[in-house]
Amino acid sequence: MTFVEKVCVLGAGSTKYGKLAESIADITTQASVLAIENAGIDPKEIKASYISNVFGVADKQVHLGPVLMSRLGIPDKPSLTIESACGSGSVSFREAYANVAAGFYDCLVVTGVEKVTHTGTEWTTTYFAYCSDFFYEGQAGASFPGLFASMARAYLTEFGATEEDFARVAVKNHDNGFLNPKAHMQKKITIDDVMKSPVVASPLKLYDCCPFSDGASSVILCSEKFAKEHGGDYIEVIGSGRGGSPAALQGREQMTTIPSTKIAAADAYKMAGITAKDIDFAEVHDCFTIAEIVDTEDLGFFEKGKGVQAVREGRTNLNSDISINPSGGLKSKGHPIGATGVGQVVEVFDQLTGRAGARTVKDAKIGLTHNFGATGASCAVHIFQSV
Amino acid sequence: MTIEEQLIEYAKQGKLLTHKCTKCGYLHLSTAYYCLKCGSKGFEDVVLDGEGSIATYTIITVAPAGFEKYTPYAFVVLQLDNTHLRISGFMAGIATPEDLPVGTRAKISGFEDGCGIIIKKQ
Repeated sequence: MTFVEKVCVLGAGSTKYGKLAESIADITTQASVLAIENAGIDPKEIKASYISNVFGVADKQVHLGPVLMSRLGIPDKPSLTIESACGSGSVSFREAYANVAAGFYDCLVVTGVEKVTHTGTEWTTTYFAYCSDFFYEGQAGASFPGLFASMARAYLTEFGATEEDFARVAVKNHDNGFLNPKAHMQKKITIDDVMKSPVVASPLKLYDCCPFSDGASSVILCSEKFAKEHGGDYIEVIGSGRGGSPAALQGREQMTTIPSTKIAAADAYKMAGITAKDIDFAEVHDCFTIAEIVDTEDLGFFEKGKGVQAVREGRTNLNSDISINPSGGLKSKGHPIGATGVGQVVEVFDQLTGRAGARTVKDAKIGLTHNFGATGASCAVHIFQSV
Repeated sequence: MTIEEQLIEYAKQGKLLTHKCTKCGYLHLSTAYYCLKCGSKGFEDVVLDGEGSIATYTIITVAPAGFEKYTPYAFVVLQLDNTHLRISGFMAGIATPEDLPVGTRAKISGFEDGCGIIIKKQ
C-alpha cells in the first residue's frame, strides 16, 4: 500500500464518562469543541466529520453528523456516522485515517458518543444483546456479560485460572482510573470487593464488568503537513490494522482467543515496522476482566494462557513491564460504546504529549489502542508514536 | 420457508439442519450461503441428531428483557458429536456451576419464540 500522507493526531478531548444529563447532541458537540480548542484550529479548517455511535435511537437522535456540523458552524461540510457495536470508535477512526492518508482530506474531526444510561439496566442489557449474532445468541438469552462469561468459563477450564485472577484485572484498572478525573468509576476497589459483588453471568460478577456509561470523545486527525504548519503538539499514527472474527462464539475454533485482534494487530505491527515488544503502553478492550487477559495474549504481549500469570505478577500495572489501560480502561474509565475507541486515542494523545498527570507512563514513546465490537467480531488496532 | 425457518423447524424436532459443501465436503450451520473453506455455493442438507456435550456456558442472573422470568438460566454452547460444529442455545433450570460441568451430555430439544433454540441435559 502506498499512502499519500502521514497522518497525525493534533488535538483530543473527552467529556467526563458516567451518567450524563445532557443530550447526545450536546455531549457530541462538547467533546468535539474540546478537541478543536486543544488542537488550536479554527472549525472552518475541518473538512469532514466521522461520528461513531450505536444507540442514538435511544436518545431520539440518529444521523448525528449533520447535527454536530451545524452546531460547529460548518453545516456545509460532509459527515459520516458509523456503527460497529462497541468497536465503532476505532472503526470510525480507521476510516478517517484512511481518508487523510489517501489525501482526500487534510483535517477531520473524529467524534464518538453514546447516551444510554437513562434507559436503565434491563433495556441497556437488551440493546447490547442486539450486537451479538442475534439469531443464535441474543435470541437464546445471551447478554453481553453472558457471552464473555462463556469465554471466561472456557478460559478457566483450559488454563487453570481462578476467579481471583480475573478480579486482579479489575483492581488494577480501578487503581489507574482513580488517577483519571474523567473516569466514570474513579474509585479504588479490592479483590474482596470484586469477589463479593453480585453475580451477573457466572463466573463474572458485577465488578468484573465495565459500567454502562454515557460520554463522548473526540480527536482532530490531520496530515503531517497540516500539523507542522499549525505548530503545537501532535502524535503520528504509525500503524492501522483491522480484522474480523466469526460473529458468534460457537463459530470460533477456540473460545479463549479473539481472531480479529490477532489479524488487526499483525496488520498494524507490520505497517509500523515494529513488534509487540516495542509497545510502551496499550489501551485495550477490557469490557470484562476476562477480555483484558485474552487481549494481552492476542496482541502478542504474552503467550496464550500466560496473560493471567502476568496479571498475578503485576506485570501489566502502571509503569511495570507494559502498562495496560493506564486510563483505567473500559472497566473504570467507563464504556460509552460509540465513544470508547476514540477515547482510547484521547488517552494515547494525552500520554504522549505529557498531559496524563498522575497516571503518566514514564518515558513512553509508542502507544497502542485496541478496540473491538461485540465479542470481537470486528476489531481495529492502531499504533501511535510521539514526535 | 426461509433458511432460518427451516433450521427452526428441525430444531423443534430436536434435530440440527446443516449444510455440507458439495465441492469440498465442509460442514456448516444451515445459515451459511458460501463455503467457509473453498468459497463455493452448492450445499446439500445434512440433518444431525443435535446431541453433544457442553463446550462452555454461563448462568445468567441479570437478564435481557423477556428473560427475567427464567433467571437463573444458562446460555450454553453445545459441541455436537462427530463434527467440529457447535450450536448455542437456552437451557432452563440451571442455578449453579455444579449443575452443569463443562462436558455434560446435552441435546437440542426444541425451539420456542422468546427463547430460541432450547438445549436440555441428557
